[in-house]
Amino acid sequence: MSILSLIYKEIIHRKFNFLLSLLAVMTAVALFISFFTAGKASNRETARLMLSMGFNLHIIPNGTDMNEFLLTGLTDKTMPEGYLKKLASQKGFSYNHLLAILHRKISWRGFEVILTGLAPEVCPPGLKRPPMVNPIESGTAYVGYILADKLGLKEGDTIEIKGKALKIAKCLFEQGGVNDIRIQCHLKDAQEILNLHDQISEIQAVDCLCFVSTNDPVAILRKEIASVLPEARIFQMRPIAMARAQQRQMVRNVFAVIMPLVVVVCGAWIGVLAMMNVRDRQQEIGIMRALGYGSGKVTAMFLGKAAIIGLVGATLGFAIGTALALNFGPDIFKITAKTVIKPELPLLIKSLIFAPIFAAVSSFIPAMIAVTYDPAVTLREE
Amino acid sequence: MVVLENVVKTYRSRRGDVKALDDINLQIERGEFVVICGPSGSGKTTLLMTIAGMQRPTRGKVTIGQNNLYALSSRARAKFRAENIGFVFQMFHLIPYLNIIENVALAGGAEVDKSKKAQANELIEQFGLAGRNYHKPPELSAGEKQRTAIARALLNQPKIVLADEPTGNLDPDNAAVVLGYLSEFHHKGGTVIFATHGTEAEQFADRIIHLRNGRIDNPR
Repeated sequence: MSILSLIYKEIIHRKFNFLLSLLAVMTAVALFISFFTAGKASNRETARLMLSMGFNLHIIPNGTDMNEFLLTGLTDKTMPEGYLKKLASQKGFSYNHLLAILHRKISWRGFEVILTGLAPEVCPPGLKRPPMVNPIESGTAYVGYILADKLGLKEGDTIEIKGKALKIAKCLFEQGGVNDIRIQCHLKDAQEILNLHDQISEIQAVDCLCFVSTNDPVAILRKEIASVLPEARIFQMRPIAMARAQQRQMVRNVFAVIMPLVVVVCGAWIGVLAMMNVRDRQQEIGIMRALGYGSGKVTAMFLGKAAIIGLVGATLGFAIGTALALNFGPDIFKITAKTVIKPELPLLIKSLIFAPIFAAVSSFIPAMIAVTYDPAVTLREE
Repeated sequence: MVVLENVVKTYRSRRGDVKALDDINLQIERGEFVVICGPSGSGKTTLLMTIAGMQRPTRGKVTIGQNNLYALSSRARAKFRAENIGFVFQMFHLIPYLNIIENVALAGGAEVDKSKKAQANELIEQFGLAGRNYHKPPELSAGEKQRTAIARALLNQPKIVLADEPTGNLDPDNAAVVLGYLSEFHHKGGTVIFATHGTEAEQFADRIIHLRNGRIDNPR
């Protein structure tokens, strides 16, 4: 009688023990699969929400009046546009998005408006990231809500600012802030209007130094940049940076805490059930030893059963986990779920490899105990 | 030939050591039917397990044929046991999820060939269990269980059968049937070592050994 056949018959005989063990593996795999599958949507969603919070790092000209900058968000100083390229190519400087801006408060058609020129966003080489700010084509403009409303402007109209004609590409929705009195155009157009060729007011960035093991990540950034851009200073919008860091950390924590906990609890669960199984089968083990079955075959019976539990549990757990993610994911991650949540077949392969190993490791100690049972003792028991 | 020389087995426990076998010297010839008689706790089962190579003595030597049993590796001892020794227990010790034919064939090891299966069928028929081939132990009577256990013990055509109170749970009729099968095995040249606290097997015995407190009372 083959070991596999013995395992199969024992599983049929002690269905309850098998089903409980299967449930443990299924739970672990299903949670892992659903977390991972839905987690992709969570990451995308988090990224989108983070983008909407805006840039958190401002690199401004050295002589900026900080009092004025903090009050208005503007600086009347400028620095060379070439700083953007210099910064982007600086070794050791990590960033996600860089944006060069030139802005000035100007009087236009009886209103105090802010003219903002935006250069196309720069991302690290090789990384495709959605832009945080929609690129504006040269010769066009986005007009803030109040300006459009008061002046009766609409998309397609042409406006003229200090002799430069710009076609309105978009009239923005009401935002309840300074953007409502802003005219945005391409950086080159703004430089021409303001007669500040190759000059910018600011470089905005999403930094990547939120998780360095120091209380003052900006100090590191300042040190990194000081040598490259001696005429610039760095100013961090700390609440935004912290919120971004905390949100990312929170998502990581959920994975870092819950998954090991699930693995440990399910592992212990399988181990206890395997131990109960070994105790139930003491006399069976004894008789098999008496009939000449060696330690290897007895171990194979228990670990083989664990491997079968792992394989079946992985398959069912994958199906359940994927179904959970597909069913409930879209309710949680309303924006990205439809495109991101889908069955992850590579995870099935991983589950089929790791779940049997996990079940076998959990059953290892009981299997070793089974091997060390003294048949002379177990066969004596009535 | 089974030879035990100065065999001592001591069980250690927190409440003190218990000497289950105390300086046993015994020689059992090939083809002998030996009854080991003694009250409960006299060391009968320990003696059988020691002869079977399943319980290493604290001291002494056990030899079967040319083999010093406890000098063999555990794997070699398991192989030796599978090929040379059959077991019959009072509690039958059948595997509850295997039917009769599978329980008998279990003695053939993990890889059972066709001839072993045929042999198992033959034994089952011989022991009057032909109609019960696919029944599982819980569906059998005590007598049928013990006959299945004897069939399992004899599958590998062992040289020795160790029987540990095999009639202890049987009515007199079934006990007689079991003794009859063991006697038949003995008449075909097999060695039977039969442990009991009763007298039912004495009529079949070539020799009766009395065991008391781990010592042989009447070495003959």
